[in-house]
Amino acid sequence: MKLKLKNVFLAYFLVSIAGLLYALVQLGQPCDCLPPLRAAAEQLRQKDLRISQLQADLRRPPPAPAQPPEPEALPTIYVITPTYARLVQKAELVRLSQTLSLVPRLHWLLVEDAESPTPLVSGLLAASGLLFTHLAVLTPKAQRLREGEPGWVRPRGVEQRNKALDWLRGKGGAVGGEKDSPPPGTQGVVYFADDDNTYSRELFKEMRWTRGVSVWPVGLVGGLRFEGPRVQDGRVVGFHTAWEPNRPFPLDMAGFAVSLPLLLAKPNAQFDATAPRGHLESSLLSHLVDPKDLEPRAANCTQVLVWHTRTEKPKMKQEEQLQRQGQGSDPAIEVRALLMRPCRP
Amino acid sequence: MKSALCNRFFILLPWILIVIIMLDVDPRRPAPQLTSRPYFSPHTVGCGGSRVPLRRSSPGRDAAEKRNESRPQLQPEPRLPTIYAITPTYSRPVQKAELTRLANTFRQVAQLHWILVEDRATRSELVSSFLARAGLPNTHLHVPTPRRYKRPWLPRATEQRNAGLAWLRQRHQHQSAQPGVLFFADDDNTYSLELFQEMRTTRKVSVWPVGLVGGRRYERPLVKNGKVVGWYTGWREDRPFAIDMAGFAVSLQVILSNPKAVFKRRGSQPGMQESDFLKQITTVDELEPKANNCTKVLVWHTRTEKVNLANEPKYHMDTVNIEV
Repeated sequence: MKLKLKNVFLAYFLVSIAGLLYALVQLGQPCDCLPPLRAAAEQLRQKDLRISQLQADLRRPPPAPAQPPEPEALPTIYVITPTYARLVQKAELVRLSQTLSLVPRLHWLLVEDAESPTPLVSGLLAASGLLFTHLAVLTPKAQRLREGEPGWVRPRGVEQRNKALDWLRGKGGAVGGEKDSPPPGTQGVVYFADDDNTYSRELFKEMRWTRGVSVWPVGLVGGLRFEGPRVQDGRVVGFHTAWEPNRPFPLDMAGFAVSLPLLLAKPNAQFDATAPRGHLESSLLSHLVDPKDLEPRAANCTQVLVWHTRTEKPKMKQEEQLQRQGQGSDPAIEVRALLMRPCRP
Repeated sequence: MKSALCNRFFILLPWILIVIIMLDVDPRRPAPQLTSRPYFSPHTVGCGGSRVPLRRSSPGRDAAEKRNESRPQLQPEPRLPTIYAITPTYSRPVQKAELTRLANTFRQVAQLHWILVEDRATRSELVSSFLARAGLPNTHLHVPTPRRYKRPWLPRATEQRNAGLAWLRQRHQHQSAQPGVLFFADDDNTYSLELFQEMRTTRKVSVWPVGLVGGRRYERPLVKNGKVVGWYTGWREDRPFAIDMAGFAVSLQVILSNPKAVFKRRGSQPGMQESDFLKQITTVDELEPKANNCTKVLVWHTRTEKVNLANEPKYHMDTVNIEV
């Protein structure tokens, strides 16, 4: 009747290992214990938030004089969007067009990275209900991404943005939509909206009355929760940024807008494709403004109204499998423009 | 004799220690309730109907006329069925951005009611203030996912969708049901406005293709003579309803007449959530194909990349706390 010590320790060992594995599985899981402590922490956080908001309200400059009653006097916002063919292109443009539809008096300049306009983009523009101009210019071969190169090695959309600037300056080139450039003396604002970012509709209210170059924070960029100007007494005194803070203008492409008269007064201002990494924005802004003359918006740059989001590349494993079996999906169903390869060459 | 006593003591000691540890741990971890009670917000925020954006344009411009023609303004009509969009959401760096995009879409859909269900024990300040400014009719719910179900391989947002269903049933429990349609709108997908026109006429359960899902460019029901006869899908074709969560809508009447239909947690295999739910309320024969007999992609299963916050300091160093 005596238990074998070996068996007892074997059972003990198994139970211990099971317990240890259970503990390891639980490691890192959020703890549900101490609810009163968490409630107290939540209350403190909410109080801090409230205090921050009140401080922001105090710092906010007095409201600008009421906007002119005439709708005609509302400056036009020209939104420049470079785009290129890829699987998620149509989805991105659908989302962006829905946001732009909420903004009054907006003109969309969509520039394709292609030799000629594609049916997908033309159809989407026609269905969007927006006032638009459709442009197309191919990125020179030397600037294209090679296979396997990460996206940040070369600046993207440079030729396309410059093409839009040329159109605004009356150099024509539209392949669809509104073909005539804005006449001299037009009041307007130019904004560069990439097709995968996220824009709050309040952002467009903030930028509409730009006199020179206005700036605001951008969320989720540069390895930070947000990147943007530091403001003191209504003036930009520095920049909250972690990546190459010594750039002349450490701003994201989505973090500024330029007034149209200023842009037309500087016909040589454009983006420099040879600018080093991260200096593309500076290559344009250096021609237009001094850092001290930037106009802070979004409650003195304390509100995040635009986010640098990126859409994952969809996995097409099953599609490739079908291709190998010779049963590709029905090409008549449009997801995006048909290309020999799903990614950009 | 003494040796035998020592032997027994050492044999029993580990077990005694294990029991002591377990007893010590248990009081600090109360067992989670099998069904968490969702919190219902006291009242609905926002006014009825969506706000059509104000548009101004120069008179006589062709582009402006074309713009007006292509987008006739939808006025809320008494008979227009309400679209209830249930959106599960959880706290993460891109949450506000995703909800901002989704709200921009919903603002242009007439007669839409947004049911936002947070995966939290309480309503978060971020979502509460966001909804207050969104200007959409909405209901803000919250229900936390039990910890044992928070695994990468287990289905997500099950409790949140069920909370939305429970709210919908409770709200219409004592009224004659107005016409309505229920749709599950995840916060990172992309929806064409045309999709909402298509689903509004749902009589029971309608289906349509979904782009960029299941490892293929699209997944869709196969339609013959106006009936669904099969599924074009790349993953688990044997499912009775091989469809994505964004690929179907259910009429409110069907939801109310099947009060026990919920998304299952126990025994549900990966990818079978949709099938398990639809099996309770309909059959393949009864499905209504939309989007031009399921040949048009109006919704895309897009996913936003995880954000790189490598340069964020460990402790909050800024003088103001900016919400992102």
